[in-house]
Amino acid sequence: MLEQLLIFTRGGLILWTYRELGNALKGSPVDALIRSCLLEERSAETSFSYEAPAGGGSYTLKWAFHNDLGLVFVAVYQRILHLLYVDDLLAAVRREFSQIYDPKRTAYDEFDEIFRQLQKEAEARAEEMRKSKQFNRAPPVAGKKQRPGQRAGSQGNGKQKGGKVGSGKDDADGESGKGRGLSNGSSNGQENGIKEPSRAPSVLVKGKENGAPEVGAFDVNKLQKLRPKGGKKTDAGGGGGKASKAEQKKMVKKNRVWDDSPPESRLDFTDPADEKGDSIVDVVATDQGESMMDKEEIVSSESESEEDEGVESAKPGTKKKGWFSSMFQSIAGNAVLEKSDLTPALKALKDRLMTKNVAEEIAEKLCESVAASLEGKKLGSFTRVSSTVQTAMEEALLRILTPKRSIDILRDVHAAKEQGKPYVVVFVGVNGVGKSTNLAKVAYWLLQHNISVMMAACDTFRSGAVEQLRTHARRLQIPIFEKGYEKDPAIVAREAIQDASRHSSDVVLVDTAGRMQDNEPLMRALSKLINLNNPDLVLFVGEALVGNDAVDQLSKFNQKLADLSTVPNARLIDGILLTKFDTIDDKVGAALSMVYISGAPVMFVGCGQSYTDLKKLNVKSIVKTLLK
Amino acid sequence: MEQQMHQIELWVRQLPVEQLYAALAVLVVTFAFFAILHLLKPSKSTTIVLAGLSGSGKTALFYQLRDGSTHQGTVTSMDPNEGTFVLHSELEKKGKLKPIHLVDVPGHSRLRSKLDEFLPHAAGLIFVVDALDFLPNCRAAAEYLYDILTKASIVKRKTPILILCNKVDKVTAHSKEFIKKQLEKEIDKLRTSRNAISSADIADEYTLGVPGEAFSFSQCRNKVSVAEASGLTGEVSQVEQFIREHVKH
Repeated sequence: MLEQLLIFTRGGLILWTYRELGNALKGSPVDALIRSCLLEERSAETSFSYEAPAGGGSYTLKWAFHNDLGLVFVAVYQRILHLLYVDDLLAAVRREFSQIYDPKRTAYDEFDEIFRQLQKEAEARAEEMRKSKQFNRAPPVAGKKQRPGQRAGSQGNGKQKGGKVGSGKDDADGESGKGRGLSNGSSNGQENGIKEPSRAPSVLVKGKENGAPEVGAFDVNKLQKLRPKGGKKTDAGGGGGKASKAEQKKMVKKNRVWDDSPPESRLDFTDPADEKGDSIVDVVATDQGESMMDKEEIVSSESESEEDEGVESAKPGTKKKGWFSSMFQSIAGNAVLEKSDLTPALKALKDRLMTKNVAEEIAEKLCESVAASLEGKKLGSFTRVSSTVQTAMEEALLRILTPKRSIDILRDVHAAKEQGKPYVVVFVGVNGVGKSTNLAKVAYWLLQHNISVMMAACDTFRSGAVEQLRTHARRLQIPIFEKGYEKDPAIVAREAIQDASRHSSDVVLVDTAGRMQDNEPLMRALSKLINLNNPDLVLFVGEALVGNDAVDQLSKFNQKLADLSTVPNARLIDGILLTKFDTIDDKVGAALSMVYISGAPVMFVGCGQSYTDLKKLNVKSIVKTLLK
Repeated sequence: MEQQMHQIELWVRQLPVEQLYAALAVLVVTFAFFAILHLLKPSKSTTIVLAGLSGSGKTALFYQLRDGSTHQGTVTSMDPNEGTFVLHSELEKKGKLKPIHLVDVPGHSRLRSKLDEFLPHAAGLIFVVDALDFLPNCRAAAEYLYDILTKASIVKRKTPILILCNKVDKVTAHSKEFIKKQLEKEIDKLRTSRNAISSADIADEYTLGVPGEAFSFSQCRNKVSVAEASGLTGEVSQVEQFIREHVKH
């Protein structure tokens, strides 16, 4: 049954709560909901699942907003239950409560009675629905929606099959219908998927149940809370095809013998005794000047032009006959924002975002979230709908792009130095994004702040990777730890860290091989490296040119890291390094997609190919560029 | 329209030049007078800002000061809480009651920018620290406090700051002296690492303390004091004292 229903203001004061038999909630699910969902602009999702730490219960939370009065209604119930009436109940509660709400009052005891009434009604309605559906039961829906090898026990009752909560296979049901290949640990996605075909007139007022696949796409926050899944639901096809690549690594190269060449004992030219390259290489150190990380960025404060908005909102079909009344209302300031008002403005915004190279799903999610936060709000006087939407979107973007934890790496390095251990940074990413280049840039920047750096060449696959790093190391005059090719990168990394503590280097920068997110064996190898060495910072290197693939890359990387981890709190991606920023003029959307999907802040931006081309992300200018 | 303009023009041309000059001079003097008045008038604000990390008890404190109880509890705030009211404990006093304007800014890191809206008008800032769960959050609290202490609006206006150790009703809460020392140490470390970065990195407009010496709050140009309180049980006397001291009419 319902564990708790809370009504609170946006300022944080709880106005009314309903407790079932006085059971206290374990952990603090509502705070977690606010921090990881509502403030992250994921308020358009349908539900949120929470696991209390240290083996407390696991709960599902659903919510509703009343944007005009600034109230939030949250319902909490046990995750294994599937209460069908919750959305209905939330809507009814919102309706009733807004009638008795008064900003001055803080106690609403009479609402208890009303609530009991509403709950009974909602439960009764849900029972009816269920019974009527049972009579129309067709052959079990479950069959056609399941992937092979799954349990077949799903009846259309909406009751969860006992015990398989949190199994990674649940969500496949909800999503395969829509053809999405992503998996996540959302049992609600599965619930929604089963419910969909089985009921025509939906009890669910919100109508967002169809958003199940969308729930599936971005549940990194859920991933972080769920225990790692034993059963992997993977794209078996993709994994199998790439397996041959792994085999290539094991092929040993045969030694070629030329008669007139000096006899070489090995073909491996990583012998550091090769002196010929040295004399030409210049020592760089501080020659190239200040790294752009330390330079101030001049942000031009131009006011946004209102003209584009005028053009966009005057689209055909937007209420010609209602023009006068809408004008009047905008002056009088009493218009209540409806979904239909917001749709054209939001669509325009979404298109604009997409022309700036924001991934399509992210733009969609963002627009929905902004719509959810504006619906029902009263328009201020003399404001148009488009400008309200614009302001709300700007705020939302600012909120997402502002890092939620400190990105002061130097501070962290000093903290690690005091503890006497080296600060380990691992660079991960797909092929060809610029990991090695940017690693050298970061090393240069750290050197400028008098921090001793060591590089670890754990890219033991690509020919020339070790030489590349070695060249950088020579130019920067820093030690490099390498073991040549075809070694296990996890072991190399571990030895590098031990070496670093022996030589008292402050920072170890670990370079890894690029890998596609679908490549199962390589992702497993990466996971092993991270688990074995437990780095301080896992930096995902992504290029700014990437489009919709950014979503896929980041979510798969995070998911694989979570799945294949051996500890309960899996290490996920901690930060993003955005590269090739100089190649895009104003199509800066990739930054937004990556930050939204992973929740990790952008720590560096690479904007060129020389050592000084490393900057910090200027949030305000990005937001301005995105909305221009 | 044009005829009227033409007529006005003719009429203006008619007027003797001295009159025009006199009229203009009067206007200029009036404007100057008001401008000077506005600048000279010391704007006393009655705003007190409550800031601190998420979960330190600001919203509870806000309602405690306003209503004398925290009602049914609080959750993480998404928006600031503002109110102009007379402190609850003063309601029973006779005599002139002075309302204060109290603002509770959310502590969540994504909402930090809201603080900048209220600081320029603040007569005082209360930085709330969770005395119970202090050590795990010590660094984050010190960073936030450091950011506040180096903001231009605080330093220039010499805004007094009260570091409030909240939740002291619990047995395992730390003492205010301990918290003060820890914060000073952390800020000292921050100082050295932040000054190593050039100023473009963070919006530091001012550096703290005296270089070469360990940092202590007495080195700040604005007055920093430490106090204890408990938002839940209502022991907020030290807070109210601070408020009454610094909100003058």
